[in-house]
Amino acid sequence: MRGTLLEKLGTLVRTGVLGLWMLGVVLPMFWVLATSLKSTKEVTRSPFGIPESLAHPGAKTFAVIAENYSKAWVGSGFSTYFWNSLKVVSISLVLILLLGSMAAYCLSRFEFRGRNAIYNAFVAGLLIPMQLILIPLFFQYADWSDVLTRSFAPIARMLQLGNLTVSLHNSHEGIILIYIAASLPFTIFTLTSFFGTLPGGVREAAMIDGASEARTFFSVMLPLAKPGLITVAIFNFLGLWNEYLFGIVFLADNKLKTLPLGLASISMQAQYKSDFGLMFAGLVITMVPTLVVYLLLQRHLTKGITAGAVKG
Amino acid sequence: MSPQHLSRDTKRFLWIGILPAALLYGLFVVWPAINALMYSFTRWDGLSTPVWIGIDNFINLFKSGSDFVTAISHNIYLTVVPGSIILTLALFFAWMIHLKVAGSTLFRVTFFFPNVIASVAVALLWVLLYSTTEMGPINNIRQALHLEKIPFLESARLLQSIVPMMVWSATGFYLVLFLAAMENIPADYYEAAHLDGASPTLQFIRITLPLMWDVLTTGIIFLIVGGLKFFDAVWVMENGRPSPATHTMSSLMYAKVFEEYNVGYGTAIAVLLFVLVLVVTRISMRLLKRERLEY
Repeated sequence: MRGTLLEKLGTLVRTGVLGLWMLGVVLPMFWVLATSLKSTKEVTRSPFGIPESLAHPGAKTFAVIAENYSKAWVGSGFSTYFWNSLKVVSISLVLILLLGSMAAYCLSRFEFRGRNAIYNAFVAGLLIPMQLILIPLFFQYADWSDVLTRSFAPIARMLQLGNLTVSLHNSHEGIILIYIAASLPFTIFTLTSFFGTLPGGVREAAMIDGASEARTFFSVMLPLAKPGLITVAIFNFLGLWNEYLFGIVFLADNKLKTLPLGLASISMQAQYKSDFGLMFAGLVITMVPTLVVYLLLQRHLTKGITAGAVKG
Repeated sequence: MSPQHLSRDTKRFLWIGILPAALLYGLFVVWPAINALMYSFTRWDGLSTPVWIGIDNFINLFKSGSDFVTAISHNIYLTVVPGSIILTLALFFAWMIHLKVAGSTLFRVTFFFPNVIASVAVALLWVLLYSTTEMGPINNIRQALHLEKIPFLESARLLQSIVPMMVWSATGFYLVLFLAAMENIPADYYEAAHLDGASPTLQFIRITLPLMWDVLTTGIIFLIVGGLKFFDAVWVMENGRPSPATHTMSSLMYAKVFEEYNVGYGTAIAVLLFVLVLVVTRISMRLLKRERLEY
């Protein structure tokens, strides 16, 4: 009897302690959300009260919410930032998954000369900090843009497409290429071990049925690898959606900025510093997409971390 | 796997499968990495012809009183202080969830929230929390307790103020990692220990910790590498202009290259950062990875 009572008490205390930490984690986020529903005047007058727009809902108070969010979404370019993020990240992701899974499959299921060397070269990339390649890429991009312009401009003129200048700086294509390349080590490392766990006979069975290698891969092996692909996709999505360092170097143009870049640059401009309504709305717009994706896919994400932990 | 005889179809597939990835990786990661090594031995303003100066950049980095020495000390601070708190809390919370609590899934899911938020947004969120204006919650609480307002974001105090932010945002990830390792340990071990009268604390020290040592090592490496690369929050909280009092290696590198046009010196910082990551990973593996316990 005493034992069970003690156990119950223990569970209660532990739940209480964890509950406190949960409050600490969640409260700042709720505060941001609540504050984004207040006018700048209300923010300074009652920073912690329940937003008037919620306490006394009415046309007038909802106008406050509309004002904050439309100021952020339209007036300060958060819609542009959002669509830029969506474009850059989704194109990168599709290509990362395609190229990464093909390479990983080849490296895990076939025996050929140079296989280990190629695999090791990819995996070595896990240890390269992005800071190392940032500066050389900046200068490489200037050189390459020149070369590309010089080689394609005559062709464009010939086809009467006008003057063509290629610039990898300040272009989504330029940063997408970097994002893909930089994500390959993790992607290939994870997927190679994943393909290694799939049963060996599957490929042979498909081949006996007369399917080509490409067909076997796309219609048999790739669907089997779906759990691995989802895990890799989530981690890459979160990393790329939140990426900042490469962005400040390669996307200086305001029209091209992604959400973290736009949010940071607005937060640094003096004229916005006291426009709390805008600032909090912008913060919410930046935070929500990754939180939603996380909530939808958190099972897979946890599974991914768990698999990593079990392997050590 | 035994060597296979590869058909023509297979060979073609292998080329198509590997070449695009290898090409991108070679051009956009390997080649710049090699270039970085070369830049770091030159004096270069980014426009004129680079001048080969041997290891002078690296010597200059470590001249006493150089901004780099200060910057690296900031990285060490931002690794050790938040790192040890995060490690302790994550282990503690994971152990509590493991011992059974009500609503463990809820905890697991919510603790992870800050991890998925962009580091820029996390930094800005804490800028607002620390604000000295009327709406800054932390200083408001201090005033309610009749304490003076603290300018948390001034340069002299910024690194200390970043510590709670890092703990807030990173603990959830390590908790999930450690909890997974704990749940992987067979229950019979604990039952046997329990029958022998071992207390939960003793079980934690004698069974849990040794059997999750691998994962603990991985966690420590992540924390150290993250601390060495630290950039985003310092950059945002200093409005893109960190001072020597707040520079980390990465932000100093950025400032040297893109503001002072000292490309060789800046790249030398990047190379050193890379070497540090390598060395730290290696040493941690050696020191911490004891013989793997099979169970």
